[in-house]
Amino acid sequence: MTQFIVRRILYSIVTLFILSGTIFLVVRMTGDPVLLLAEAGASTEDLDRVRQQWGLDRSWPVQYLAFMENAVRGELGKSFNYRMPVSELYFERLPNSLILGLAATAISLLVGVPAGIVSAVKVNSWWDNAAKGIGLLGLSIPGFWLGLVLILVFSVWLRWLPTSGAGDWRHVVMPAVALGWYFAASMLRLTRSSMLEVLGSEYIKLAKLKGLPEVVVIGMHAFKNALIPVLTLAGVNMVVMINAAVIVEVIFAWPGIGRLLYEGIFQRDFPLVQGVVIMAGFMIVGINLVVDVVYALIDPRIRLTR
Amino acid sequence: MRHVRFRVFAVAAVLVTVAATALPTWSQTKVTPKGKLTLAWHAGFASRWLDPQEHDGTATPDNFFTAIHDGLIKNQGTTLYDHPALAEKFAVAPDAKSATFTLRRGTTFHNGDPVTVQDVKFSYENYRGAKADVFKNRTERIELVDDRTVRFVFKEPFLDFAILFGTANVTAPGWVVPEKYYKQVGPDAFKQKPVGAGPYKLVRQEPGVKIELEAFDGYYRPVHTKHLVMVAVPEAATRVAMLERGEADIVYNIPGPLIPKVSKMPGVTLAPVLSGSFFLEFPGFQDPKNPFHDKRVREAVSLAIDRRAMNEAETAGMGKVTGNWINDDVQYAIDWPEFPRNVEKAKQLLREAGYPNGFEFSWITPLPTFYSRGERIIAQLREVGIRGRLQTMERGIFFQKLRGGMKEFPGIQMILHGVRIAGSWSFWYEAYFKCGGANSRDRVCVKDLDAKFDRYEKSINAAERKKLAEEIQRGILENHYLVPVFRHAFVNAIGPRVTAQKWQDIFPTITTGYAYPWEDIKVKE
Amino acid sequence: MSTIATRPVVAPRTASGRLARFVKAAREAPLVAIVLLGGLVFMAIFAELIAPYDPTVPVPGATMFDPPFWMEGGRTTMILGSDFQGRDVLSRLIYGARVSLIVGLMGTLVAGGIGTALGILAGYVGGWVDQIIMRITDAWLALPAIVFAIFLAAMIGPSMWNIIIILGAVYWTRYARVIRGEVLSLRERDFVKLAEIAGASRFRVIKRHILPNVMNTATVLASLTVGVVIIAEASLSFLGVGVPPPQPAWGLMLAEARPTLMAGQWWLTVFPGVCILLIVLATQLFGDWLRVRLDPQQRNL
Repeated sequence: MTQFIVRRILYSIVTLFILSGTIFLVVRMTGDPVLLLAEAGASTEDLDRVRQQWGLDRSWPVQYLAFMENAVRGELGKSFNYRMPVSELYFERLPNSLILGLAATAISLLVGVPAGIVSAVKVNSWWDNAAKGIGLLGLSIPGFWLGLVLILVFSVWLRWLPTSGAGDWRHVVMPAVALGWYFAASMLRLTRSSMLEVLGSEYIKLAKLKGLPEVVVIGMHAFKNALIPVLTLAGVNMVVMINAAVIVEVIFAWPGIGRLLYEGIFQRDFPLVQGVVIMAGFMIVGINLVVDVVYALIDPRIRLTR
Repeated sequence: MRHVRFRVFAVAAVLVTVAATALPTWSQTKVTPKGKLTLAWHAGFASRWLDPQEHDGTATPDNFFTAIHDGLIKNQGTTLYDHPALAEKFAVAPDAKSATFTLRRGTTFHNGDPVTVQDVKFSYENYRGAKADVFKNRTERIELVDDRTVRFVFKEPFLDFAILFGTANVTAPGWVVPEKYYKQVGPDAFKQKPVGAGPYKLVRQEPGVKIELEAFDGYYRPVHTKHLVMVAVPEAATRVAMLERGEADIVYNIPGPLIPKVSKMPGVTLAPVLSGSFFLEFPGFQDPKNPFHDKRVREAVSLAIDRRAMNEAETAGMGKVTGNWINDDVQYAIDWPEFPRNVEKAKQLLREAGYPNGFEFSWITPLPTFYSRGERIIAQLREVGIRGRLQTMERGIFFQKLRGGMKEFPGIQMILHGVRIAGSWSFWYEAYFKCGGANSRDRVCVKDLDAKFDRYEKSINAAERKKLAEEIQRGILENHYLVPVFRHAFVNAIGPRVTAQKWQDIFPTITTGYAYPWEDIKVKE
Repeated sequence: MSTIATRPVVAPRTASGRLARFVKAAREAPLVAIVLLGGLVFMAIFAELIAPYDPTVPVPGATMFDPPFWMEGGRTTMILGSDFQGRDVLSRLIYGARVSLIVGLMGTLVAGGIGTALGILAGYVGGWVDQIIMRITDAWLALPAIVFAIFLAAMIGPSMWNIIIILGAVYWTRYARVIRGEVLSLRERDFVKLAEIAGASRFRVIKRHILPNVMNTATVLASLTVGVVIIAEASLSFLGVGVPPPQPAWGLMLAEARPTLMAGQWWLTVFPGVCILLIVLATQLFGDWLRVRLDPQQRNL
């Protein structure tokens, strides 16, 4: 087991290494940040001065080495735009993103899991079709459109909720719904198919044969087993929601990491984009690591096959 | 519609060393600031905008540092650059080889330190933002004459000094930061917790998201509103919802389709501030094989464009159809009559030029993200048989390509620029017309006009400069080297809680799109 | 997560079997999905013939924001009204079917192609190749699509094909994971072992034995991806890096018209929204049907 964990951690490091190299290159090939930071009438001297100030006049390998050297020491560099360490900016925004991510995950689970169970238990019934309908709406409505409709209805017409920004719980409701909605659909799908798979398996049939009441069979046995993949997906989804909820954060002016990333990209704030992506990578790698280890604990065969 | 005509007579006036000295009488009356004003800003915030020492030269940071900081002289109201602020008077020597400023008495920074001539000197010498090299190269020394008087001495006559020095959306070496504090915390920390001598002091900043300010009671003018909060709301529809719900009092940048809706909101006033100029460029028209090489073809393009329809559709008629591609709020900009629309004449000119059936061009590339303006031009040009397609570019890529010059725009192309540069007409010429200019690169290059511009730059004779400036501008317009389209309106809205008879009460400064001077804005309880 | 042991590897290939399967399939075929998809494909192919106007230029005489014909101020010549440019909404929707279908299908094809190829490579070759591919797959999740979008736009200029490449580049990872898992177990199966012992080259084994057996999975995954890709196209347009205007992609129409939602011109967002809904509905129904046919286990894909 120890050997397994060590191996997985090594994999994670390789993953982060690939990620850092890719984002470093890709972001640099999107253009020169200096042009966006200078005025319409800037002279070449102006531009060179700015380039030098940020070390952009150095060659890419040198810049990459400097970036990695800092990253290893836990520093992600200084943002061009904010003149602050990227890690500081990231952690300043993180609580907001956590709140939003958790709330949206809760919504996606609260909607997706019960609906998925019902539709799996009552396959092809009216319930099943209703659940499929919800899933379809979740998959086919773009987040920005849903977000604006929510603002229009609940802020402008009904005047129940504030339009945007962060504050108390009322500020979280609409962004969390707009974000969780899409993921609820995938939760629903996964819960349904996962439940169907478990319900069709031999031991559930056996349990039914043994005469256990259906509620117990579904509630205790089937649900418990079907839950593992659902929670795994929920975990991965949450990491995505925390780090890349760009559209919802832009619509609702939510001060989270997604917006930080969005503005960083359009401003060509290289250190910021690199930093946020690396942090997201850390989280993804981390959650994958946990999932792998937990799975390996549950099912020892995995240790050998992977 | 505001329609300010102001001719620039400034240099002559400055040369005879005149400056406003009278302090406004109302500054003596004490006002207790009250209430809260929330401003919804149309993008993210960058902390660097809170430090005038690193002014990026765009027309963006002045929104912020006019609240927190103050300059010796500045653009305010209809004053282009010489409104006395921290300096109560100033004078440029008749030979334009020095400028002398006298500080207002008793001004302090937010931390209580007095504003001294040493701070002025430090701010000027330490300034490293846009056009820093211009000031560095031309300044010989700074004399601290006494504890209220500072004199900048130049190596040679520096005619553009005052106009550069006093225009907040061009450069900021004249915006005074406290030397002691700046050195103590360093330039980075200064951007997080700036201390200035402006009407508002920083209470709290969430980088990129929110800036909370409070009235500074040591300011030399009365500050009317106690709390000023700026929040960044990138999505326009959300900003309008905030206005409708009373969450924001001033909302910037309302897109065309929402203007009619906002104009109908009860108690809301639209503030269509005239902004950048949109004009067409023909990259590489000097090549005889390029159809735009023929002046008649360029004129046909100009005749085919329906400028009024453009203004009507894009800014609900709140922009302005002007004749010159250079905004009239800068030094030496000339008046030019509106270009006519005449489809028949355009077709005839095309026939004469040898294109009886029109011709095709590859692309028109509009300034991002004003793509719909490009689409309208394509539709209008189609009527005379000039056919082409729209090329969209992400903002960063667009500027990168502009700086790349001709090679990034091969074939037959048009670029629809949208530009606002304050200060002097010459900054426009330098950036968008001159051969080797930062944005024009090698795409335009008209030799005889460039030669005249060199003479303009070298001349120290104001009358001659003015004459040359006008000649050059006429040369561009008469030959249709650039084709002006219209002047964009940066449409803002003022909510019912703000005290205003008309929108100009809140947006009185004609050289900016923003609502400063902030200290004058009042809110209802 | 699943076992594949009981799956029939290759279905019987007799003439009568084929006929029987065809009849059965025809009876179970998802009529709604076929009608919808058929209609959309028809619109896409024959847009020039059906659409009343050119979708990229204003209709002569039209003003902007003409409402649909049944509303006050609407006109019967433009039954779904006009947009911000005075263009015919109906024509844009019809041509939009073409752009959106191409983006949705090609994006899925690119994603499926890359993902399946890498998944097979990783699963079959194994060793360090597998390691590298799977590490890249992990790393990919953290890379935001907008960065790619701007990167490609900077490299080769904006175009619909860029969007396809970007969406393909974003969504391939799921295929790679699932297919790899499947190949890992296929590799252990007797018929693959036998082929290898018989001296078949790796390429031949992949072509003859592996690929046909993962195609079902890939197809089912693809049916689920089309809708996701079309929505992603809308999101990229919202961020300003989607299909370049004036091309009438539904996602772009929705994104461009979003301010009008607040101003009361609902038809500019609702109609493209409904079109997207319909195409997602059709592909989902089709996918469900495919799944029943191709993947009896109904695994979690």
